[in-house]
Amino acid sequence: MMAVFSDSMVAAARGLPVTLIIWLTAVAAGMALGFAVGALRFFAPRAVVWPLVAVVEVVRGTPFLVQCFLLYFGGPFIGIDLSPPLAGFLALSVYGAAYFSEIFRAGFLAVPPAQLEAARLLGLSRMQIVWRIMLPVMALGVLPALTNLAVILIKETAVLSIITVPEFTFRLQAVGSASFAVVETTLVLALGYWALTEATAFLARRVEKRIERALAA
Amino acid sequence: MSVLEVAALRREVGQAQILRGIDLKVEPGEAIGIIGPSGSGKSSLLRCIAGLDPIVSGRVLVAGKAAVPGDGAIGMVFQHFGLWPHLTARENVALALKLVRKLPRKEADAKAEAALARVGLSAQAGRKPAGLSGGQQQRVAIARTLAMEPRVLLFDEPTAALDPELTTEVLDVIRDLAAAGTTMLVVSHEMGFIAGLSSRVMFLDHGQVVQVAPPREMFGPDAEPRVKGFLKTYLDRVAWAQG
Repeated sequence: MMAVFSDSMVAAARGLPVTLIIWLTAVAAGMALGFAVGALRFFAPRAVVWPLVAVVEVVRGTPFLVQCFLLYFGGPFIGIDLSPPLAGFLALSVYGAAYFSEIFRAGFLAVPPAQLEAARLLGLSRMQIVWRIMLPVMALGVLPALTNLAVILIKETAVLSIITVPEFTFRLQAVGSASFAVVETTLVLALGYWALTEATAFLARRVEKRIERALAA
Repeated sequence: MSVLEVAALRREVGQAQILRGIDLKVEPGEAIGIIGPSGSGKSSLLRCIAGLDPIVSGRVLVAGKAAVPGDGAIGMVFQHFGLWPHLTARENVALALKLVRKLPRKEADAKAEAALARVGLSAQAGRKPAGLSGGQQQRVAIARTLAMEPRVLLFDEPTAALDPELTTEVLDVIRDLAAAGTTMLVVSHEMGFIAGLSSRVMFLDHGQVVQVAPPREMFGPDAEPRVKGFLKTYLDRVAWAQG
């Protein structure tokens, strides 16, 4: 029993940093990409918007597991041969971006038209309107949805164990199958992910308060 | 030369004809009041002049040149203020001065302070919109537009979202601007204000100009029957209030 516990701790110590790095970079990349897509869907001509909508719909309409398989095992057939962590990062970024883009699009739509028309008439460029007006105005409104998605993405990192990314789930499953202590190691997994999501929610609430203060009179 | 020339302006949305050929010439320093029933095209006319809504045909010239939104020729004040909530009053006014006019920060701030002083809000320059009354917010919006020194100022029902007291403080500011020679078009249902402010009043109905006349004529016994019918309800209310 103690051996399983100490093995689990060692596995967690090795796997959690991988989970965290892939998650944080994928959330950052997915959010940036999602913001760009959301903004383009608001401003770009139709010829640009339609392909974007198609990609977003395909990503949202297929399971994450299938996307990971396609990228990791299907990629080499078209010359994309990626290491498991890189494939995991890419898959999670694109998957996240599709959902992030929808959150940002909703945020853009919620900015009162008079604020945008005033900016346009005063001569601000589209980029200036996006960065200086739309982003700060919608920040508070979209933050809960962004946090929610970030938390979902933490849990989705577990799927990356299927394509042999040496992350938290992959490491703990190895301990579980070697020691037959599947229940115990799964419990450690559950607690680990729960701690991560709670920490994320805590941080997000603090950011929310900061934005609230920035918007207050 | 007219500072603003609107010729044969038409706007359609699907089958609906919103504006059916509007002509208007405005001389420098004029204040044109625009009145008419809801849905008559008053706000649409301002939005088309500003370039915010597309037109089917016709033209809008400011000082002889076609106006493009954002070129600074036309400024507009909206019913719902349109202030940016994350910026203070000063920052709201200074933002376009910095980003569009490329003024250095100090100069932009000084100009913003001057514009706020002109609408009587020097003391509130550091406040965000959430900390201002509706009337103060609208005055900040006016200052923001003024600071860019447009040739023509458009007011689209600037007091429709305000109670009578706040309405008065905003109308006073607009009246001062008109007295100082600002060229403006004002859409409003405040008939007494329009009568006192305007050099000419335009009455719109179903997207057409019914009458353009000095206030004394428009609000007098010889107005067009449609205008008289529209104004009757208002005049009745005033008569009732005066006993």
